Amino acid sequence: MEALAASLGANIALGFSVALSPTNVALCLAGCVLGTLIGVLPGIGPSATVAMLMPVTFYLSPVGALIMLAGVFYGSQYGGSTTAILVNLPGESSSIVTTLDGHAMAKEGRAGAALAVAALASLFAGTVTTLAIAAAGPPIAKFALLFQSPDYVAVMVLGLVAAVVLAQGSLPKALAMIVLGVFLGLVGTDVTTGMQRYTFGVNALFDGIGFVPVAMGLFGIAEIMHNLEATQGKGRVMRPMDRLWPSREDFRRAAPAAGRGTAMGLGLGILPGSTTDIPAYAAYSVEKRISSEPWRFGKGAVEGVAAPEAANNASAQAGFIPMLSLGIPPNAIMAMMIGAMMIHGIAPGPQIIDKQPALFWGLVASMWLGNAVLVVLNLPLIWLWVRLLTIPYRVLFPSIIVFCCIGCYSLKNNPADVVIMALFGVIGYGLKKLRFEPAPLVIGFILGPMLEENFRRAMLVSGGELSVFVTRPISAVFLAVSAALLFAVLMPAVRRARSGEVAG
Amino acid sequence: MRIPAPALKLAAICLALSPLVAPGAAQAQAFPSQPIQLVVPWPPGGGSDTAMRMTADAATKRMGVPVVVLNKPGAGGTVGIKEVMSSKPDGYMLAMIATGAIFAQYNNPNANALDEMEPVVFFGDDPSAITINPKLGFKNLKELVDYAKANPGKLKNGNDQPGGSSHVAASVFEKGLGIRLTKVPYAGFAPTVQALLSGEVDMASIALPDVIEQHAAGKLRILGVSAKARHFKAPEVPTFEEQGFPVISGLWRVIAAPKGTPADRLKVLEAKFLETLSDKEFQDRARAAGFLVTPGGGAVAKKRWAEDDAAMYPVFLEAGLVKTRQKK
Repeated sequence: MEALAASLGANIALGFSVALSPTNVALCLAGCVLGTLIGVLPGIGPSATVAMLMPVTFYLSPVGALIMLAGVFYGSQYGGSTTAILVNLPGESSSIVTTLDGHAMAKEGRAGAALAVAALASLFAGTVTTLAIAAAGPPIAKFALLFQSPDYVAVMVLGLVAAVVLAQGSLPKALAMIVLGVFLGLVGTDVTTGMQRYTFGVNALFDGIGFVPVAMGLFGIAEIMHNLEATQGKGRVMRPMDRLWPSREDFRRAAPAAGRGTAMGLGLGILPGSTTDIPAYAAYSVEKRISSEPWRFGKGAVEGVAAPEAANNASAQAGFIPMLSLGIPPNAIMAMMIGAMMIHGIAPGPQIIDKQPALFWGLVASMWLGNAVLVVLNLPLIWLWVRLLTIPYRVLFPSIIVFCCIGCYSLKNNPADVVIMALFGVIGYGLKKLRFEPAPLVIGFILGPMLEENFRRAMLVSGGELSVFVTRPISAVFLAVSAALLFAVLMPAVRRARSGEVAG
Repeated sequence: MRIPAPALKLAAICLALSPLVAPGAAQAQAFPSQPIQLVVPWPPGGGSDTAMRMTADAATKRMGVPVVVLNKPGAGGTVGIKEVMSSKPDGYMLAMIATGAIFAQYNNPNANALDEMEPVVFFGDDPSAITINPKLGFKNLKELVDYAKANPGKLKNGNDQPGGSSHVAASVFEKGLGIRLTKVPYAGFAPTVQALLSGEVDMASIALPDVIEQHAAGKLRILGVSAKARHFKAPEVPTFEEQGFPVISGLWRVIAAPKGTPADRLKVLEAKFLETLSDKEFQDRARAAGFLVTPGGGAVAKKRWAEDDAAMYPVFLEAGLVKTRQKK
């Protein structure tokens, strides 16, 4: 045990000696600043930025290149929550859930507190995840290998059940939105057979409808339309800010939520195919469920900011675990990081820690450094960001729309995505008028296709045996939790209906 | 020194007018006189993107103008390719095409056929391989083939969705080795490797560079590479042919221009790209990144397309994947 601790200490020392070299500190800083900027600009995501920086990395040292690209990635996670909180526009997909309570806090004049909680929760999550990678990266990666298709199915089922739990207002309407989301997710090429579904021969639909155009339309554009209508074109007036820093009460509520969010982000983030948005949704729904005052959620509950922000940052960094120790990129950004390493003749895989200790530990140390840099960078910036709120809406909203269009276009350099965003803006506006919540639609949209793909794969592999879902322990546990959760939500409703009360 | 204001004004007017004069001037100038766009029809980060970014970076020095990579992913590569092939054929818009383009022309009505493009240069191949989870115990290809023949459909193979390169490879293997596999589709190589490591599938037909690290660490075992020669990154792995199975499958990459590009410009592009790819320093760099670069001109590229087209069409037909442009 002592020997282990000593070697860990030596490794961390090695890591910091690499990460703290002047060049690498400068690259880390540059990456973080750039990441924050693109995070704040809605839609201009880290993938496009990392792709553009790729040729630059030819001329950097491998570890320097990784440190810079990693800085862009988690910098964007920080920045993405800023616009989510201030103007209800998620800068990144993982910040959609942050809009629910973060923006509600801003409307109450607590924008500064929300931003500070988001930054500190992210720092906490980043620190814990970095330690986890340093202490147990390879064993954690092995854990991910225990998951097979039936287990993914069970995780998706839990996610869909969580979407019901997350729903605000009418349950039938939430279910309708989930089903609509699943349906929209069906559009595109079926992975199992290669057949086109609902594409009507339109090339832009062959790969399905993109997540970002849908989310930006439903949340960003629809919100703008709604705001303009509700205020006769003047835009919503925010309550003036009374304080910049969170209160003692905020900290008391946020701290445990950030802890739980970190655990969920770390656990879900190492699974391949996982994005940073699913852990954020999961963390939010857990907070809402275990809270003794669930009605506060959606109206400015600080836990609803801390938990998802911790979860998305933890999962962003946990993605490095399978990337480095298995050579398996869990998302597009990690794939590009592998590309950047390949150019230098370094292939990440099971041997990287032994073969490239300076690179591995240097990167780990730089993660913590990057998180610290981001907090130092972002806390003083809060006063600047909140001044965004004082910009007149008639100036603000056209710029938001322009950035959304640029962001959507830059995803695939395809104008069709901009049209899809506009279409979903109109749909989102209609849904808002009819009092349908867009959040369950988005969850159905993400999880539905993954559920289908994994279910069909599970059936193919098991030869059509449905029993795999209960005989595999991981799957069985997740399904049991889902059933319990569903029961807990539905029981009160059933009891109310029986006792003759009319449910809202 | 002070520049008199009228001179500055004149300079500004000249600058402003220069685009109007440029088209005429460009005719007289040597061909690449403005940036060349190289469209990669895949998202950033994959093998094709990395290969093309390295090429573009090195070609910039040879061409004397920037060669810029632009990712336009979608519909199995057809979106980006179509955009380039429908653009003005002036040599400034190029696209990377890969083996998958052969499949696309039979499956997607929007895809371009070869006679709508002008191949410029051949980059090289990523050979396919058969890789197993070591728990399976097979030591060579023959043991696997014998088992598969005795137990048709029992071995589960991880591959792309139908039409993807590792799915095509699996179909080629089935036909060439005379075996039947249960083909389990995954979205890309990363989840396929994951499934192979976790034991969900027994084997995979993905490209060799995607499994080299796992193989070197002993987590996976490459039984054979389906190329004419062994791969420099894994010289200990024998080819299929060495083991008595003459089957070849892989993924090649080609840079192409739209049909109708002037012959003199095609010549310039071909020569400069060939110089770039043949450069010793470039080749070393590409090898370090795992790419086998075997430069060839437009004619070489056309020949490879025609050969593979002839070999793969029956495989597609048998798998029921031919939807458009049936061959007679």
